[in-house]
Amino acid sequence: MGPECQVMGLFTDEERAASAVQALEETPWQLKQVHSPIPSHKLSEALNLKKSKVGYFTLVGGIIGFFSGFALAMFTAAKWSLIVGGKPVIALVPFVIVGFEFTILFAVFGNVIGLLIQGGLPDFKGMEIYDPRCSGDHFGVLAACPEIEKGQLINYFKEKGGVTRVFES
Amino acid sequence: MSDLTYAKIDQTVLDTLRPATQVYWFTVALLAVGMLGGLACWIYQIFIGIGVGGQNNPVAWGTYLINFVFWVGIAHSGTLISAILHLFHAGWRNPIARAAETMTVFAVCTAGLFPFVHLGRAWMVYYMLPYPNQRTLWPNFQSPLMFDVVAISTYLTVSSLFWYTGLLPDLATVRDRSTGLRKKIFTILSMGWTGKMEQWRHYTRGYLFFAALATPLVISVHSVVSWDFALGVVPGWHTTIFAPYFVAGAIHSGLAMVLTLMIPLRKIFSYEKIITLEVLENVAKTIILTGLIVGFAYGTEFFIAWYSQNSIEIAIFKWRALGHYKVGFWIMVVCNTIIPLLLFIKKIRRSIIWLFVISIFINIGMWFERFVIIITSVARDFIPHAWGLYWPTVVEMGIMVGSFSLFFFLFVLFVKHMPSVSMTENKEMLAEGESHGA
Amino acid sequence: MKRRNFLKLASIGSLSFAASACTSEPDKTIFSLVQAPADMVTGSPTWYASTCRECPAGCGIIAKNREGRVIKVEGNPLHPINRGKLCIRGQAVVQGIYNPDRIKSPLLKKNDQWQPISFSQARSLIQEKAIQAAQSGSDKARMITELVGDSQLALFIHCLEKLNSKGPIAFEPLAYETLKTANREAFGIDGLPSYLMDKADCLVSLGADFLETWLSPVEYAWRFKAMHAVRTEAQGVFFHISPYQSLTGANADRWIACHPGREAAIVMGLIKATLEKGRGIGLPQSLIQSLRDASERYTTQATARMADIDPKDFESLKIRVLKAKTPLILGTGAGTASGAFQADLAANMLNLILDSDLTLFDFDRRHRVEGSARRSEVIEFFNSLSTDGVRLLLINNVNPAYALPPGSGIRKSLDSDRMFVVSFSNFMDDTTALADLIFPVCLPLESWDEYSGKNGMVSTLQPAMGRFTQAPHVGDLMLDVAFKDDRSVPDYKTWVMTQLHSKGVMREKNEWLKALQAGGVFPDVSPSVTRPRPVTGATSLFEPVDDTTGLFEPVDDTIERDPAKPVFIAVPSIRFFDGRGANRPWLGEIPDPLTKVAWQTPVLGHPESLKAAGAGHGEVVTIQTQQGQVEAIAYETRQVKPGVWVMGMGQGHIHFGRYAANVGINPLTLLPPKIDNMTGGPVFSTAVVALSATGDSKPLAHTDGSRIQHDRKIALSIPLDQMSANHDEKSAHEPSLTMEGFPFTLPLPEGYDPKRDFYPPHDHENYRWAMAVDLDKCIGCAACTAACYAENNIGIVEKDRIVEGREMTWLRVERYHDPENPEKITFFPMMCQHCDNAPCEPVCPVYAPHHSKEGLNNQIYNRCIGTRFCSQNCPYKVRRFNWFEWEWPDPMNLQLNPDVTVRSKGVMEKCSFCIQRIKVAHGVAKNEKREIKDGEVVPACVQTCPTGALTFGNLMDVNSRVRMLTQDVRAYQAMGYLNTKPAVIYLKKVVQKT
Repeated sequence: MGPECQVMGLFTDEERAASAVQALEETPWQLKQVHSPIPSHKLSEALNLKKSKVGYFTLVGGIIGFFSGFALAMFTAAKWSLIVGGKPVIALVPFVIVGFEFTILFAVFGNVIGLLIQGGLPDFKGMEIYDPRCSGDHFGVLAACPEIEKGQLINYFKEKGGVTRVFES
Repeated sequence: MSDLTYAKIDQTVLDTLRPATQVYWFTVALLAVGMLGGLACWIYQIFIGIGVGGQNNPVAWGTYLINFVFWVGIAHSGTLISAILHLFHAGWRNPIARAAETMTVFAVCTAGLFPFVHLGRAWMVYYMLPYPNQRTLWPNFQSPLMFDVVAISTYLTVSSLFWYTGLLPDLATVRDRSTGLRKKIFTILSMGWTGKMEQWRHYTRGYLFFAALATPLVISVHSVVSWDFALGVVPGWHTTIFAPYFVAGAIHSGLAMVLTLMIPLRKIFSYEKIITLEVLENVAKTIILTGLIVGFAYGTEFFIAWYSQNSIEIAIFKWRALGHYKVGFWIMVVCNTIIPLLLFIKKIRRSIIWLFVISIFINIGMWFERFVIIITSVARDFIPHAWGLYWPTVVEMGIMVGSFSLFFFLFVLFVKHMPSVSMTENKEMLAEGESHGA
Repeated sequence: MKRRNFLKLASIGSLSFAASACTSEPDKTIFSLVQAPADMVTGSPTWYASTCRECPAGCGIIAKNREGRVIKVEGNPLHPINRGKLCIRGQAVVQGIYNPDRIKSPLLKKNDQWQPISFSQARSLIQEKAIQAAQSGSDKARMITELVGDSQLALFIHCLEKLNSKGPIAFEPLAYETLKTANREAFGIDGLPSYLMDKADCLVSLGADFLETWLSPVEYAWRFKAMHAVRTEAQGVFFHISPYQSLTGANADRWIACHPGREAAIVMGLIKATLEKGRGIGLPQSLIQSLRDASERYTTQATARMADIDPKDFESLKIRVLKAKTPLILGTGAGTASGAFQADLAANMLNLILDSDLTLFDFDRRHRVEGSARRSEVIEFFNSLSTDGVRLLLINNVNPAYALPPGSGIRKSLDSDRMFVVSFSNFMDDTTALADLIFPVCLPLESWDEYSGKNGMVSTLQPAMGRFTQAPHVGDLMLDVAFKDDRSVPDYKTWVMTQLHSKGVMREKNEWLKALQAGGVFPDVSPSVTRPRPVTGATSLFEPVDDTTGLFEPVDDTIERDPAKPVFIAVPSIRFFDGRGANRPWLGEIPDPLTKVAWQTPVLGHPESLKAAGAGHGEVVTIQTQQGQVEAIAYETRQVKPGVWVMGMGQGHIHFGRYAANVGINPLTLLPPKIDNMTGGPVFSTAVVALSATGDSKPLAHTDGSRIQHDRKIALSIPLDQMSANHDEKSAHEPSLTMEGFPFTLPLPEGYDPKRDFYPPHDHENYRWAMAVDLDKCIGCAACTAACYAENNIGIVEKDRIVEGREMTWLRVERYHDPENPEKITFFPMMCQHCDNAPCEPVCPVYAPHHSKEGLNNQIYNRCIGTRFCSQNCPYKVRRFNWFEWEWPDPMNLQLNPDVTVRSKGVMEKCSFCIQRIKVAHGVAKNEKREIKDGEVVPACVQTCPTGALTFGNLMDVNSRVRMLTQDVRAYQAMGYLNTKPAVIYLKKVVQKT
């Protein structure tokens, strides 16, 4: 095939964008990317996206946190081995709180890390083929086609009721 | 909000980022002065000694810890609104969530300063950090104060991350609508967010977990703060009701502060279309609830004291209501439980002025709640011979004013330089609204 | 900028800077001795036996010398007067030596300006003046001195003789003229016998405040408690009769508030009662008869009416006196009103009637204070100064300008141009300020001397430290002044030795050394042989000269209880004595045992009196008498009779240094210069001309939050009749977790019970230190507090800080009134309880307070960051926070105990059970390869307690005294129901029905 070119169809309407995405599957053209100003359910249905795996990071973080919290508290107490308030040196009850807070903290860390890794952030390369309107009120559907079929693809998006923008490569 | 469009939302919010007026900078300067005044008071205290405050024996804790608890309380509803209401899919949260979260972050920062101010030897504060050192000196994790250190720092970290994550798409929006330096800055801040559905897929999921984790955290943090007192033997402190009582109180004060901040914001930045009256009304309704819970807690405390038939406990509560600090006590009762009842009246609930005034009253009332709890109990605890009274001094007041200045200083800076209302979430709500409509 | 300050600044903003910041501990000068004394071992104290000269009692002390400086004094255990105990004033003696206002070199007054001159200049100046005086005729060089030892007195006489003048007069503001006169009139002995109080079973005091200032307070404190000791179902009984309830009155089983000056009536009533019972065997019939006649009118009703007391009070007094086997009637106190002489005389007669042999009187060991001049002689002396044209007046450490009522004209007679006035004082006091030359002489703890509180013994003084100034001893100075080369002895020390030698007290030199080591020569106490018989003339005193005059006639039946005509009484203070202690900051700082007011001089009035004056508690009133008027804060209390206003002596100096000048009020300025013709004594009471509220009120610097304990089971008492085992308080209630039923839980594993304790018990390593406090023995004198200040470097915060509630005391004596009858008072020493389940410990984020292996509640100062949570959570509120950097103005810092850290601002501190002393004991025991013995560790408070109310020891040793005391029926723990398991065990105060 000849050189590729990418065309982005920009829709102000979520529905249209969604149908454009769906209809694109019957075409030979290849859906590259879909930009949305909002976490659109319709689009994700259209793309039938799977559930994110971020949760596993969160879980692992939480487990680590829980144990490290207790570990820290018990370690410091053991280091001193001083009796305070008639309690045993390692009095587990008060340490529950430390354990709990650490669980939350590390779970959140896990969550953030998961988010960055999975979402591939930061991703400044992604901004090269991107239309600023997508962060405003436009839904961008990016598709790739051989240079010669460019016109057809543009027309396709026009039919779907969007404006188009061409990214030459 | 049918006449709202994505563009309108963007426009309204982005308009707030236009170059600021002189009045704005004057306000900022004024707050900076207040901040420096507080700092000066603190430096003076460090050199002369804690004695420049009013604390004494038996009342060794004063306004510093009152303000600590007060600000931690304020810090609460932010995350509550964005996290819990997010889980409940309560749409009215979206217009105010951003500002509320911001309030949280800054309030925690302010609160976090007070333990330092309070310390007799602030320069030794690092003794409370579990850092490895060759003398193997470690903090005592059995101490409620260490619970605080852990809980508050966790809370600060989590709510900042939560807040930032929420900001991300909006940062991208600002980036795409701005030029020059601001564009550069926001490019970096937005981490190349392009709203790919792939990003959204993980984002929504992650955000959900965030909310799920933040919710128990909010509850735990103020419970921990309450245990600073409840774990003591002091009459009037040593009670199991404290954790829920404090959490309710915190949310109460937090919501009030949200109103106090939102109402002017709404006016100045003409957010009327986004932050609709319904939103404020919903906040007001929640305030009624928390107000009732707090009032119930006050009643319960007295009931427990009477029911326990513990003469010391009974004495302390009698004294709270009728003793030297009765004014503070009644301010607390009236402002926190009586006045909010006005919100049952729809006219008042839907009147901006009323809402604002009532929110101010609640803020005052909640400050006095902390005063009553912290001061009265130790002023008259077990040993009658050691009883004494406490009154704040000018230095303490100075530091208190400083803390308020600091908080508003940060907030005012934020609202003018960052999207103070979440565009994305409002668009989302708009979308859902239509789809529901359809 | 100082490095420290920079770091402090840095620490404000950022943690990282703070991490390198040090504490704000002040730099302290380190003294190194170029030539150490032979017996000085660095780090270990040397003890020097000496004698306390803070009051005429003459207690034996041992001075603790560390690295060449005296840091503390304690009672000399070998000394017969105080038996190792010391009062609050004795503890404060070191603050005289290190007083920042101490005059270091002679000062000469040139046109009302003081200019320092050298000691030699000053000496020659006095010599010159002395010679002039001696040449200008007889008695031109006079001396007024404090009460001194025989040797010193002899020296003064010796030297003044050389200056052809008569001997000095000894001035004591409290000279007990009425007692002396009464003894002279009754027994023919113009002196002050000592009383074998401990042998009595019924004690009646007509206002003698023998626990505060009267004659010999420390001695009478232990004698009184010996007499008052708890025996099963039996205890000596003590009645105190006075218009106001002094500390002594507060310790009485019954305080009978009588009208000022009417004590005599009560005694006469008792005389009548005893005679009717046929007592008085062995007395001459004539005396019996005249007494019978004189006491005829004193029926119970009449007596009660005259003394303005409740007949019931008199009845029970009568019953107890008659029932007693060995009753003893003590005379009036120093704060005497007119009519005191009658009371004392009648008391003597009553004592004769009750026991004609006066077994409880010791006329062989009389109190030295009897040697002081009568007030009449003192006044006479000052008047004679101008009339005799005296040229040189030597004032040896007395302060008449302060201690005598202004009307006495002392100031006038002192400031005469013809007379050169030299003061040997170390302090710029009110009298010294009027002198022409101030020549400081060395203080008792820097001197070789001898002073015997009683005759029949010798108590020595020796320098307990190197000279602090170049000041010579007054004895040496006098020798220099009076003699050139014709002196009989080289120096005063030799003089003292020869004196003792000539007395036959000691023959060879080693006896002198022995005496110095022991603190004196104390012959075994043999029963008194002097058995005075009633003077025949005594009879006449009781016979009415005519209907109106006779000594006992003026005691009429009518007492005007007109609140508009109130009486003002000035009473000696346990803290300042007659005022000489006022510049010792500890004495100002430690609150008055009864009012709990520090640094101020409130005027005490009955609620009725305050009402009449239209003043409330804490409001300022103006009191006006014939002599003048003062403004004082009114203190409302039921411990004074209505219509009587009471003010403590000792404060309100015009000069006398930073701690005394213009602090408080001097009540003596309100008193008339009146002298009682019969006794030649002063009166310390006067009629109030006008008394009114000024309307404004001043904050009282009081340390008590409440006068009653609100039924919180803090200071408990037990009726005497319940002392037997069958009334066991502990078994009275079913064990429960309530305030009433909570069991006695020792701070040992056996004190734990899963029913009460969430956590298991913990063990201790060989020792579990604990203290027992016997509330029945505690008289509330606060000597323990003073000892604690001295031992533990506790900061002085002064009035304003006390008003703010920032006093630093580690050991406070709480004073609780019985809500029903406020004159029933319990004193309750409160210090750190060293709990086994200490609430203060777990709340600290940095382990600054924690539980030691030996059960102590340690406080690590340099770990403390000052969260103050421990103090908040301490139910006993015994923790003290350093709100500021406290100051020890140079050279006060030299008194600091090197074994105890000086706490910097921002840290918490509290009682440590004198852990430094425990450590010393550990060292000794370790060297001797043994365990610490019971009684080997003695904290400062325990050491000094005059009545032995405190016991310290190891609970794990089942035979230790403290462990024994935990078995006592009276044993309990303060607020034990909090399950803190305190290691301080209190023994309930025993109350008996009177």
